[in-house]
Amino acid sequence: MDSIFDKFAEAQLNRNGYRLAKTLSPDLPNEELYSIWNSCNAHDVRAILKRSIQNTATGMDKLPHQEVAGWVEVYYTYWKAVGELLAVQGPSVAYGKQFQPSSWTKVFAAWTDLLSALIRGYLSQGFEAWTIPCLYVAGKHLRVFAIKADDERNKNSSLDITAGGNFQDDFNPEAEQHAKLEDCARQLQKIFNLCLNDRAPLEESRKWGIYYVTNLQFKTYFKFNSAALSKNVLKAISAGRGDMPPLTAFPKSQQVTFKYYEGILCFLEENYVEAENHLTEAWNLCHKDATRNKELILTYLIPCHLLTTHTLPSQKLLEPYPRLQKLFSELARCIKKGELHAFDLALQEGEDEFVRRRIYLTLERGRDIALRNLLRKVFLAGGFEESKEEGGSPVRRTRVPIAEFAAGISLGSQETLDDDEVECLIANMIYKASKLYTARSRAPGSVYAQLVIALQTNGIQESSFQSCLASSILASLWRWRCLGLQGSTWTTRPLGLMKGYIARERGIVVLSKSGAFPGTGI
Amino acid sequence: MSAHPSSSSTIALQHYPNPPRSLSLTSPPSQGPGYTQVQVRQSFGGQQTYAAAGGGQASYNSTTYGAPAHAGSPAPTNYPNTPAPVVGQEDQPKKKIDWPISVRNYVQRSFLPDNMDPSVTRAEMESKLKETISQANDSGVMYTVNWETMPLPQQMIREDRARAKLVSLTKAAPIYPVGLAPSNNSMAKGKKRKSTDDKDLAAEASSPPPWRNGQSQSLMSRTSYASPEKRHPVEEAPILKNVSKSQKDKRQKQGDGGYKSTYQVPTQPMNTGPVVGTCMDLEKRFLRLTSAPVAALVRPEIVLRQTLELLKQKWKKDQNYSYICDQFKSMRQDLTVQGIKNEFTVEVYEIHARIALEKGDLGEYNQCQTQLKALYQLGLKGKTIEFKAYRILYFIHTANRTALNDALADLTPTEKKELPIKHALDVRSALALGNYHRFFRLYNETPNMGAYLVDKFVGRERLAALCNICKAYKPDVPLRFVTEELYFESDAEAAQFILDYNPDLLQERQEKIYFLTGKAGKLFEGHRAEAFSKIDIKGQI
Repeated sequence: MDSIFDKFAEAQLNRNGYRLAKTLSPDLPNEELYSIWNSCNAHDVRAILKRSIQNTATGMDKLPHQEVAGWVEVYYTYWKAVGELLAVQGPSVAYGKQFQPSSWTKVFAAWTDLLSALIRGYLSQGFEAWTIPCLYVAGKHLRVFAIKADDERNKNSSLDITAGGNFQDDFNPEAEQHAKLEDCARQLQKIFNLCLNDRAPLEESRKWGIYYVTNLQFKTYFKFNSAALSKNVLKAISAGRGDMPPLTAFPKSQQVTFKYYEGILCFLEENYVEAENHLTEAWNLCHKDATRNKELILTYLIPCHLLTTHTLPSQKLLEPYPRLQKLFSELARCIKKGELHAFDLALQEGEDEFVRRRIYLTLERGRDIALRNLLRKVFLAGGFEESKEEGGSPVRRTRVPIAEFAAGISLGSQETLDDDEVECLIANMIYKASKLYTARSRAPGSVYAQLVIALQTNGIQESSFQSCLASSILASLWRWRCLGLQGSTWTTRPLGLMKGYIARERGIVVLSKSGAFPGTGI
Repeated sequence: MSAHPSSSSTIALQHYPNPPRSLSLTSPPSQGPGYTQVQVRQSFGGQQTYAAAGGGQASYNSTTYGAPAHAGSPAPTNYPNTPAPVVGQEDQPKKKIDWPISVRNYVQRSFLPDNMDPSVTRAEMESKLKETISQANDSGVMYTVNWETMPLPQQMIREDRARAKLVSLTKAAPIYPVGLAPSNNSMAKGKKRKSTDDKDLAAEASSPPPWRNGQSQSLMSRTSYASPEKRHPVEEAPILKNVSKSQKDKRQKQGDGGYKSTYQVPTQPMNTGPVVGTCMDLEKRFLRLTSAPVAALVRPEIVLRQTLELLKQKWKKDQNYSYICDQFKSMRQDLTVQGIKNEFTVEVYEIHARIALEKGDLGEYNQCQTQLKALYQLGLKGKTIEFKAYRILYFIHTANRTALNDALADLTPTEKKELPIKHALDVRSALALGNYHRFFRLYNETPNMGAYLVDKFVGRERLAALCNICKAYKPDVPLRFVTEELYFESDAEAAQFILDYNPDLLQERQEKIYFLTGKAGKLFEGHRAEAFSKIDIKGQI
């Protein structure tokens, strides 16, 4: 206990919140936990705590009485939680004998008390804003304990059919499986409100805690399959954005996590353009050695790119991430070669994993690109015909019979489609061109826009630019864009799949003479 | 009906192409043969007769169910199973409770080795503890009772046992299942409460200490109910609530910010099991519960089974949806409050879901399917495949990506191969890829009643396909092509669909009608966007 208060004093002296938070960590070796637990007993713990806190505070300005009382309560609840923690770790701890058998549920409850004591400290006992890392520690471990408590309960008790006493007919066994985690989410929401609603001037505002707790909330919501709840948090933040420090002023780690989740939320709503922006930001800010995080970001960024820019990840990009290779390599190959049948198989093969990661529905649409590539091959196989102009060089044959495309598709998909369906597929290729184009040109914050602005103003912030280029996805995008930019027509250039029209009566497809398959060089 | 085979059906089907849709009610093959409606009819008398079939909602107003739950029903004392009145049992979500230190110490004390009693098992102790504490909590005296002097659970259990013996010997009182006894607010007697409602206190001055109310209080409570204001347990709730509220206020004044207050009101006493209904009426109007259910107004399963048969008959005969829906809702409510979750429950929800589907009441359908999902998850048997397929189609309709994703993740490989589910998945994939050709073929082949769901979004998909066609085909296409691709019943219907948006897009030449795709421009785009933007998920009739 003494060591805690040495650190406490030091942290108070330096006003170092992270140091202070360390004194509330449950993440200690059992011996240390034990020595904390053992240094007092239920009768004298408050007195000891009070004395220690008052004494350690003598070196500096004395802590106000109220604050002392608040910290006493915080460390008292901490001490009790430590007791539960030691008890739950049970037989593995040599000192276990003197503990009542415990459970993670009890640990969770004890830790909730700690969090409550802290919140009360802020609300009515004058805890200062620099101490908010204490809330981080409390929130972070609350989530861990909640998950453990839920696991423990689910393991020990089979589903109780009669549980969930509610008069309305909306019981939900799934929700009961996450009972503690949902409770945890409510507690986190309290921290969120505590931070958001602080009206103190920014320098000493708890608003600085907002993104940390928000990220925790996202994590929690995703864990119990209620990602949609995150929307409320986002709404609250954007409503209060005016009097909040900008995201860029927060620690980078918080920015990355926040952007990642923001991106995924857009992704889940099929808003791929927005999703791409957020994820790209996360990617750029992510620490270069945080392989796991980068892998997570790419898991969603790659499907985004596939839809918005029709680009595939290069081998080089995937190289450091064997998991991603497994996910995307085969699909990417099929798309590139236009092998429809193999694509279907690959999609089916990875279906479980794709669905679990919520990228199945997105990847499925990669079939369009595969089809485009297949049709392009048919078009190329059609060869050239003589130019109508005297002495002109031969031009590609742009009137292609439906039957040729039908043959190509049958070959690629290994199933025979009737001509109407082939026409339908081609119609889709032509139609989707215009749709994607409008979606993209309306995104002023998109990567393209950023790159273009950067280019036009010629070399601002070269470093940030290079970090963009670092990823080969962006590099390929960049090359592609450079081509498009030369006439500064990038906003008007449709990134479509196929240009032309079907003349049904004649049974042919008339393709555009200039760029029948935009973005593919023909 | 020219283009499609039609079928005889028990349900009004207008233009739907496919026979299987008629299965509505008859789908569960195990339709009980023993349908006995007759005797129970008598009990409808006076009180709750429905106006003749076909009567609208207004005709219900004369029934007594519009009144507070107890009016017109016998005093609850006639029903041994009347549940204990409960504090704050409004339909708030179940909250967790922060137990005060005193309570925790009490619990700890109970388990001290010195206090252990070999004749009392741990499980018994735990349940007793739970009972005692939650009682204290429910009656709002958790903070006032002196936990230091509270007898330990093992003592109470010993006392209970002794008393049970006595009771069984004398057979003086009916044995109540523990926890169902009217044992409400005797705890309120607790320590030094300077309460304002002395009247209550006076009435209870002689009531036994809290740990005694397990069984012997039944007689006591009967007598205490004799006073008129005590007749209706539900009415007591507000009084007690006030008490706990004033305590809350007190705590807040003590300066702890009242941060615990939101967790002080539990919705369900842990010691009260589900109600067991005693109502024998077959029909009952739906009334949303705002307080604890009353056994006298709840029908037990055996009655509900008859009700179901009656409703099936009525539905076939009268097709009065507002009546049927209301009846099913009250059936579902009775099932819920009694905690009945078995295959019968599944059947009720399935049938209601089918009827709602047929009538296009997607709001009600959705409620049913949500419950069905949960019931299936409990391992209960039902038409799992059929309803999982509906579920997918429903999420396609509501364009709920996240839910669709979850629904996909739920499927097992075997399920994916089952025809209805495979069909629904194919529909989804066809739409995702914009393959309208395939989508409209699948529309024609929809199994079961899924077509009612597909009907809901076929209009907007037609618009989407028209956008597509207008962009891709130049300069025109034969109208017949549109008819066939978009699965209209006839050229006339297709023509009408197009003409509704623009009268100038059709042209007749050489005795054929052409659809001028080249002229349509962006016409259908706007309508398509509009159609996709307003998906009314709640959409109740």
